[in-house]
Amino acid sequence: MRALWSKIRNAFGKRSTIALELDEEMDAHLQFLMDENLERGMRPDEARTAARREFGNVRSVREKTYRTWQFPRLESFLQDLRYGLRGIFRTPVFSLVVILTLAIGIGANTAIFSTVYAVLLKPLPYPAGERLVWLGESSAKATGISVTWINFEHWQSDSRSFDGMAGFQNADLTLTGRGQALLTHAGLVTNRFFQLTGSRAALGRLFTAADDKAEKPETVVVTESFWAKTLGADPQIVGKTLTLNGSAYEVVGVLARDPGFFLRPVDYYLPLRPSAAQAAKRDAHGSMRVLGLLKPGVTLAEARTDLNTILERLAKADPGPEDGHRVYAAFLTDERTEGLGRVFVILMSAVALVLLLACANIASLLLIRMTTRAREMAIRTAIGAGRSRIARQLVTETLLITAIGGAAGVLLAHFCLRLLVQFAPRDIPRLAEATLNVPVLLFAAAVTIAVGLFCALAPIFSSGGVNLSILLKESTKGAGSNRVGHAIRGGLVVAEIAMAVVLLFVSGILMRSLYLAEAASPGFDSSDLLALELQLPSGKYKADAAILDFYNRLEDSLRAQPGVESVGAVNCPPGAGDCGDWWYSVAEKPTPARDDVPLTLLNVADPQYFNAMKIRLVAGRGPSSEDRADGPAVVIINEELAHAWWKDARSAIGQHIKLGGPYMKGPVLEIVGVAGNVPQMGLDSAPYPEIYFPSAQRVSSGMVVAIRTHGDPEQAAAMVRRTLALIDQDVPIQSLKPFDERLGATLKQRRFIAVLLAIFAGIAVLLAAIGCYGVLNYWVSSRRQDIAIRIAMGAGSVAIVRRIGRQAAMLAAAGLAMGLVGSWLASRWIASMVFGITAHDPAVLGFAAAGALMMVMAAAAFPLWRAVRVSPIETLREA
Amino acid sequence: MLQGTLEVLILRCLKLQANHAYGISLFLQQQSDSEFVVDNGSLYPAIQRLLQRKWIQGQWKTSPNGRRARYYSLTAAGRKELLRATSKWQRFATAMAKILASEG
Repeated sequence: MRALWSKIRNAFGKRSTIALELDEEMDAHLQFLMDENLERGMRPDEARTAARREFGNVRSVREKTYRTWQFPRLESFLQDLRYGLRGIFRTPVFSLVVILTLAIGIGANTAIFSTVYAVLLKPLPYPAGERLVWLGESSAKATGISVTWINFEHWQSDSRSFDGMAGFQNADLTLTGRGQALLTHAGLVTNRFFQLTGSRAALGRLFTAADDKAEKPETVVVTESFWAKTLGADPQIVGKTLTLNGSAYEVVGVLARDPGFFLRPVDYYLPLRPSAAQAAKRDAHGSMRVLGLLKPGVTLAEARTDLNTILERLAKADPGPEDGHRVYAAFLTDERTEGLGRVFVILMSAVALVLLLACANIASLLLIRMTTRAREMAIRTAIGAGRSRIARQLVTETLLITAIGGAAGVLLAHFCLRLLVQFAPRDIPRLAEATLNVPVLLFAAAVTIAVGLFCALAPIFSSGGVNLSILLKESTKGAGSNRVGHAIRGGLVVAEIAMAVVLLFVSGILMRSLYLAEAASPGFDSSDLLALELQLPSGKYKADAAILDFYNRLEDSLRAQPGVESVGAVNCPPGAGDCGDWWYSVAEKPTPARDDVPLTLLNVADPQYFNAMKIRLVAGRGPSSEDRADGPAVVIINEELAHAWWKDARSAIGQHIKLGGPYMKGPVLEIVGVAGNVPQMGLDSAPYPEIYFPSAQRVSSGMVVAIRTHGDPEQAAAMVRRTLALIDQDVPIQSLKPFDERLGATLKQRRFIAVLLAIFAGIAVLLAAIGCYGVLNYWVSSRRQDIAIRIAMGAGSVAIVRRIGRQAAMLAAAGLAMGLVGSWLASRWIASMVFGITAHDPAVLGFAAAGALMMVMAAAAFPLWRAVRVSPIETLREA
Repeated sequence: MLQGTLEVLILRCLKLQANHAYGISLFLQQQSDSEFVVDNGSLYPAIQRLLQRKWIQGQWKTSPNGRRARYYSLTAAGRKELLRATSKWQRFATAMAKILASEG
């Protein structure tokens, strides 16, 4: 070890000193010899010559001595690097093609992996993020529904599997008294929430147990970004009050870092407390979910059993309608990214295929190059270079070019990632945090090295059986033009075609699904339709009458504006998702079993809504102004719900919906109309049963006003803002945008994946085409003499084309067959993302095959042309 | 010469007194009755190897006849190594001799 160290030191630092000392020492040696010779009576010049002779070759002694200090390995490695660089510059086109191919392959993989890392792999930014669990309740019909307050309290006090629990839910409140009214997002949390998420206060304090009890004034902890943006970064903010929904809240602290509200951004936190009903009844649900910190070493299954035991005990002590409820528990990391795993697996597989294609191309390029360099290698072997030394040099050379390609790939990934993050749907958590951090760079390095080794070793193994002495005797083309080389290159091309087919197929399926989802009739007319989303401040609009009056006045004023055709309002517009659902049954139908009570979405529509949206009424009527709060309770159901119970939707009219199902309290409502289905969950969702309450019978302060206008949407939007401000300028606009845009947003994730896959498929086709071209072109090159002889013997162009075309056709056929099998297998993977067609749609399969076929034909065109143009005289003279 | 023997011989030579490269080669030639004629192409690298292992150290001194030369001397580690190598070589030589003598 020590010898090694001094070697290193001397290899770099003391080398020149050593050289000088050695020369001086040898000089002295010579002098001693000379002195002796002089003593023997020689003349001085004789003595010097004799001394030199006696000493031996000074230069050789010096070299041999140096060698003990040198690093022969390092030196030859540096030499390899130099040769490698020289090789790269000697064939710039080849090198550029290899580097670009690698950059694309490695770049795509690095970019996608960095998103996978950010979304799925990166630890949560909490002290024990891997032990944080998301808790909800599950019934026979629904999983992950809200936890009731009493259940939460018992879990918190009785469970032995947790180091702490906190309840949390979202709420929207209006901030007034600071300029324009502002809709703000609150996280309601119990006091241990901050402890579990490892949050600290930058100013003031966080919640304590005391905040869980109602006091005046109420307390609020604001996030740093809200403090900086909305509160002007006021250093004296602690102790001041905010007016939220008309009530005063005292700011007690500013968070140093927002713990993040798991799914949506939050402006501030308020203490979460039960309503009177929730504190008294075990089945009174709010929308609270629970965050729990598992004790170290406790498994999720053990925790579930623990909490279920508590629920079972409660069911005995305090029987109720929800005795069958069990706990829903998932790790926070999984809960947040449910369903995304599949998406990223597909994306990762796609880029992996692209990388494989890149590798195949490079391996085949190197194989071809090996053959042209085989003579060089043979000569080097003949003059004494060891086989291992040559192999090492080839590996170094390939690794060098791969390293350059990898670096270019990381650079490419850097730019692609920015685009990717910008383009990606916002609802993928933490995607925006994707960067080229250490783990991602390690991944890129590992991939680069793996690719480099693969590419470097493939040609060496394939030429392993080549006898170098035979090579030297052969003419210019040699080693790789043997049968083995051809088989390997052919195999690579077949694999490339197959991979291109699979990617074309998968991206075709997703593109077609996207197209169908976009073109799917939404059940209403979304053209020239604006959506104005409002949430009335509850402080000012407490009474139902006040809310109804506000919306009536707003709609009347809007209708009076020029260019406005119709106006209507709904609580939950198409594409908004689940704004509330509940159990129901039909009074006139047999009573379902306790576990079979169906669910329906709940919605509220005002009398003009169906008209304004142009939603088809299948039977009966829509809500009317006659449906008053004190009148008979009526309801409009959608077609999906109607068809679940009646063959003819018209038979539903006059029958009754029992809300809450047969086992729970709830009103009985007469069905007065059946409306057409609208895609409530987004354009690519299946219809779901839904009921509409008339707006006067279930008053909602949050409504989306649909306004059908003519003319410029920008001007229309300005007109809507003016009209609203005239009625009440303290009502904040949550959003105001065309309905088309709202609905289009529901397809964002689908569009994201489809477009990415289309890009990857495009790259794959390009790479495969280059691969085919390279092999066929080489095939023509190595057979020029053969072709020339055939032409000289009178073979026409057609015969030549047929000969080479057969080669291409065989590769294409094998590739297509493999690709179709691969596509069939891949279709199972993407089944969950297919819309409107089957996962193995024959048309798309045909499209993929045709695309790959065209690719092969395009790739074969130039080699064919070259083959036909072979001039027999010139070629044969060359030989 | 056998691998590693030259180094041992150099150590043995330096055990008597510090010496320079020329002196070492003279010593080896004389002590072996001119059986070993040391090639400088082997001597110098061997000295370098001993230096690298810190078994000897070099120092520029003036020789009795007034010439400046690099004198090498044993270090403590070198002394230990010589002892180890000497016993090893003695056992080796005895064993060789036994086997060769038993031939008759």
